[in-house]
Amino acid sequence: MNALELTGIRKRFGAVAAVDGVSCAVAEGEVLALVGENGAGKSSLISVACGLYRPDSGSVRAFGRELPPGDPRAAIEARIGAVHQHFMLVGPLTVWENVVLGREPRRRGFIDAARARREVAEGAERCGLAVDPQARVETLGVAAQQRVEIVKQLWRGARVLILDEPTALLSPQESAALLRTVRALAEEGRAVVFVSHKLREVLDVADRIAVLRRGRLVQISRRSETDADKIAGALIEGPATAPEASARQGERGPVLLTVRELSCASDRGRPALRGLSFELQRGEILGVAGVDGNGQSELAEVLTGLRRADGTASLGNDVSFHRSPAAARRAGVAHLPEDRQRRGLCLPLSVEENLALGHHALPPYARGPLIDRAGRREKARELIEGFDVRPADPLARAAALSGGNQQKLVAARELAGGPPPRLIVAVHPTRGLDPFAARRVHQALRAARDRGAGVLLISLDLDELRALADRILVLFEGRSAGEAEPEAGDDRLGRMMLGQEPARA
Amino acid sequence: MPDLRARLFRPARDPAWGAAAALLASFAVSFVAMAASGRDPVDGFGHLLSGAFGGPGPLGETALKTSILILTGLSVAVALIVGLFNIGAEGQLIWGALAAAVVGRLEVPGVMLLALLAAALAGGAWGLIAGWLKVRRGVHEVISTILLNWIAIHLIQGWLVPGPLAATGSGAHVSVAGTEAIQRGAWLPRVWPGTRLDLGFPLALLIALGVWFLLSRTRRGFEWRAVGAGPDAALAAGIPAGRRICEGMALSGALAGIGGALLILGTEHRYPGVFRTGYGFDGIAVALVGGGSPAATAIAALVFGALRAGATRLQLVGIHPSFAELTQGLAVLLVAAPRMFQPLLARLRGRDAVPP
Repeated sequence: MNALELTGIRKRFGAVAAVDGVSCAVAEGEVLALVGENGAGKSSLISVACGLYRPDSGSVRAFGRELPPGDPRAAIEARIGAVHQHFMLVGPLTVWENVVLGREPRRRGFIDAARARREVAEGAERCGLAVDPQARVETLGVAAQQRVEIVKQLWRGARVLILDEPTALLSPQESAALLRTVRALAEEGRAVVFVSHKLREVLDVADRIAVLRRGRLVQISRRSETDADKIAGALIEGPATAPEASARQGERGPVLLTVRELSCASDRGRPALRGLSFELQRGEILGVAGVDGNGQSELAEVLTGLRRADGTASLGNDVSFHRSPAAARRAGVAHLPEDRQRRGLCLPLSVEENLALGHHALPPYARGPLIDRAGRREKARELIEGFDVRPADPLARAAALSGGNQQKLVAARELAGGPPPRLIVAVHPTRGLDPFAARRVHQALRAARDRGAGVLLISLDLDELRALADRILVLFEGRSAGEAEPEAGDDRLGRMMLGQEPARA
Repeated sequence: MPDLRARLFRPARDPAWGAAAALLASFAVSFVAMAASGRDPVDGFGHLLSGAFGGPGPLGETALKTSILILTGLSVAVALIVGLFNIGAEGQLIWGALAAAVVGRLEVPGVMLLALLAAALAGGAWGLIAGWLKVRRGVHEVISTILLNWIAIHLIQGWLVPGPLAATGSGAHVSVAGTEAIQRGAWLPRVWPGTRLDLGFPLALLIALGVWFLLSRTRRGFEWRAVGAGPDAALAAGIPAGRRICEGMALSGALAGIGGALLILGTEHRYPGVFRTGYGFDGIAVALVGGGSPAATAIAALVFGALRAGATRLQLVGIHPSFAELTQGLAVLLVAAPRMFQPLLARLRGRDAVPP
């Protein structure tokens, strides 16, 4: 019997069919991977499966029983558990409190804390998920928080586990551990739906692979009967084009950015950077690798003027370019921030207003103290076309765009909206983007490099770093753990990221 | 079942229609309330309308009250634009009133303009305190502006007006106590003979136009809106968010301060001993119904101004004038309601409000 069965699911948002007649099923003990571009309908489909969306037509069955549409509680009772991209955890509470929240075991009217702690610890151990039930969730890293989410679903009795882009935030080692966990859960007899962009992982972990395109299921096949090329071919329309190589055109120039003994504290007051030094040349993409939380975010903030630091960073001869975000921008620093919704965009404002943000005092966006509305509109249309932002409407609210299009919006503004940038600080620039949106951002970064800009590319995705970077700097605990060539293997980079490979001279 | 309810409670797509619907609904509820209390609602609303629009006198009163509400409404709206909820328009207004009353006594040419300017500065300074506390000390503006209201009320009405600034020789006439009368030259000229309508109304409209222009057409206005819409993104884009918040709060206070000046220069001609305006608080209602747009705020001010003017006539049919406040309160509740019920509505509609 199928653990979860979706039949003829359709879901429209306005004029757009997000899911257009998809049927698929996952059996107990099976891992079904769901692959597709941004906007292909993966998220909508799983939202229907766990009762968050009411489908326009079609049915959801769990263990043979039809679920009432659009009822998340019924889905939970039918033992469907989902781990979303944005974790639903309460930071100040401990791990066990988060796990039992809302379903606390009780004894004489009080929460039976001892029993809850014991059950959570046992549950975590049984699945090989290392979590400390007593730890406060906000002190945990992303990977550990994700484990808490999984433990939470398992403790609540989930027999069908839906994981939405679970590896997007993880280091290679953490991803590998998660994939092992997923396999173990399937061996135990649970059904797993695994949503991902990364073909390598999908081929690693899945029993069957379903490919969505524009809301339709275009291919579903057993792992043994398919390969990366077949999936890539189904993902895109028309023949797949090989990702272009990182052919450098411009010359690598003199040193652009010099960082010496940079130290700063994190928001919590702990040391984040501890004497980091490196150089970046004109016309070079320097990749920055590292396990999340080893100072990458703070490095980006220091260089864009958002965080104070000791030590020196100079852009050309300018040692104070990072004294404020405005100064950094004037000096020619562009920023593709980590949290694009919070730091990259004013979500309630329109697309054209967001495209002007930061350059809004300069022509063509302004004339003296006034906004140049015609100039801004014209430039917005040009940027929207150049970066293929959809919908191509300068007056659409930024909040209404999909994540991939929001990132294209930020990239368009930062890379092409104003004077050509000298230094580009790009943090996880393609996180959560489909291969096409990602390629567009990559092209833009390469073009900027070829024009002579220096690019600091901070990413958790080693494939991205390899494809784009000329050199890779590995951060470990706020310092350089050494540099590697883009050709370096996962194992070597992984050891460096964990501080086990001594820095080479 | 949920489908029917979803259809019934689906909020209007256009917020302006939502506000208009809320106003209509609040009038309807008031109508029923009037009937339920044993009065003739048709007669009551007749008096309300004639008190607000029946002839030059009532029209003048409506315009007078509208002009103050435009200013306090804009005050709250401008603060909302930079992302702050200014509950302190009342305190800013009475500082403006006091400044106008003090400067208006000077025997200098152009005293009226000077008094208006002084009121803007005084109100602006009081607003700036809340902005500064927010930016530098992280004090929530709702708390600080409420407390600053009380400080202003007690400083001015408990000490300055009956004390150091009290009119000399007024000790015997407690009822007319207040500050000395202002110069004739500081009075706002009446612009409509036979009514109390003075220059304040066109001035308020002009200011509303100016605020609209500032917010939607200038770089600075764009920066304010960006700070309100996404402070972190604005900061990362090089906009000094803290400074913009302070500026927005100063402008907010200045607008309320000018509102206070209009009351003094137009009708009171001194800071009176007893000065309970409530215009500052009503400005919150005006701004919420106006939804942050200067034009809609001016229209909301007109509705509430008419309500205030007309409510005095309700006494003729034995209805307490606070009835106007009932209608006003209902309108705010109904405008805010869609937001309060948004999660529930989203659930009822299968969460198709926000596509992924």
